[in-house]
Amino acid sequence: MRDYWVSKLFFDMQQPQAAEEYRANRDKVLDRYPLKPEMRQAVVSDDVATLAKVVNPYLLRFFYVAIGKPESWFLERISKTAQAKDAVHG
Amino acid sequence: MAELVGAFASSHAPLMARAWESVDPVRLDSIKKTFAEMGRRFREANPDVLVVLTPDHWVNFFINNMPSVCIGVGETHESPPEPWMKGLPFKSPWQGDPGLGLYLAEQAFEKGFEPTLSYHLEMDHGVAIPLWRMGLTSLPRIVPIIVNTVEPPLISVRRCIDWGRFLREAIESYPQKLRVALMATGGLSHSIGEADMGRIDEPFDMECVEHFRSGDIASLVSFLERKVESAGNGAAEVRNWVMAHSAVQGRGFDLIGYHPYPEWYVGCAFATWNFR
Repeated sequence: MRDYWVSKLFFDMQQPQAAEEYRANRDKVLDRYPLKPEMRQAVVSDDVATLAKVVNPYLLRFFYVAIGKPESWFLERISKTAQAKDAVHG
Repeated sequence: MAELVGAFASSHAPLMARAWESVDPVRLDSIKKTFAEMGRRFREANPDVLVVLTPDHWVNFFINNMPSVCIGVGETHESPPEPWMKGLPFKSPWQGDPGLGLYLAEQAFEKGFEPTLSYHLEMDHGVAIPLWRMGLTSLPRIVPIIVNTVEPPLISVRRCIDWGRFLREAIESYPQKLRVALMATGGLSHSIGEADMGRIDEPFDMECVEHFRSGDIASLVSFLERKVESAGNGAAEVRNWVMAHSAVQGRGFDLIGYHPYPEWYVGCAFATWNFR
C-alpha cells in the first residue's frame, strides 16, 4: 500500500528547484503536504526502512539523489531493510 | 502498406549518462562496441518511424493516474527532463507520428485492448539513452508506447504476448508506405531502491536470453512468470522485450552484447531480431 502524500512529495522533488527549496527550508516544503505525523517524522529523520514500506522504490531512490544524499549512504540504509526483514522472519 | 523493418532491444541506466566513465576502459570499450553495432543495424534498417516500448520512470505518470499501456499520439514529444540528461544530443521537440499513433490506438480498441492515449509525452532516459549511445545523429519519428513496469500491479507477461502480436498486425495493416522499427527498452536483471539494490542476477539473465533465442514463446512466458520477480524490480522491464519478441513471432533473436556492470547496477543486454 502506498502513502499518497509521501509519494507525491518524493515525486515532486524530482524538479531541481523543488529539491533545492527542500534542502534550504525543509519544514516549509513539508508544510505543503498533508503528511500523517508518523510519515512526516519518517521523512524528517530519514527513516529509510519506514519509507521503503510506503513508496515506490524508484521514487525512494530518486528522492535521496535529489536531496543530495550520497549513494553509499542510501545503499547502506536500504540494505538494512533486508536485514530487518530477515530478523523478523528468522 | 507499412512494413516492419527492424526490432531492437536495449537496456538503459541513468548511470550510463551520469557516470558513463565509471566503468574501467576495457569494459567501457566493450559496451561502446555493442552500442555501435546496435547503431549500425539501426541505420541499416533505416526506419521512418520508431515505435518504442518503454517504461516511464515517474516522468509522465504518478499514482494518481497510472496507465498500464499508453500510446503517444502527439505531433511532438519533449526530450528528457532529467537534469542529468543535459548532454543528450537530441533537443526538444522530438517528432512524433500522430497518424500511426492514432491508427495503433484505434486498432487496439477494435481488437480488444484499452490503451490510454497521450498527445504530449516527455521521453525519459529509458528511451533516450539507447538512442544516444547507439550514436544516432538524428532520430526518426517516434511513437512511444509506455508500458507500466514500475508500479505494481503490472501487465501480465501473457498480455505482453498479445500486445506484441497485435502491434505487428496493426503496423503491417497501416495503409501508408512506411518503414517501421520496434525498440524495447529496459531490463535485464536489476534492482533499484530495493534492499538488494545493485544486485545483478546473471543466471536469470542468461536463462532469459536462452528462452528468447529458443523462440519457444510458451516456455519464455512460463520462465518469466516464475522468475522475473526474483531478478529485481527493474527486471520487470523485460515485458517490453516480450512484446517485441512476440511481434516478430519469436524469430531470430540475436544477442549483440551482455554487460553485467555493477557500476551501473544493471545486467545490460542488447539484441536485435533477424525475423525477415
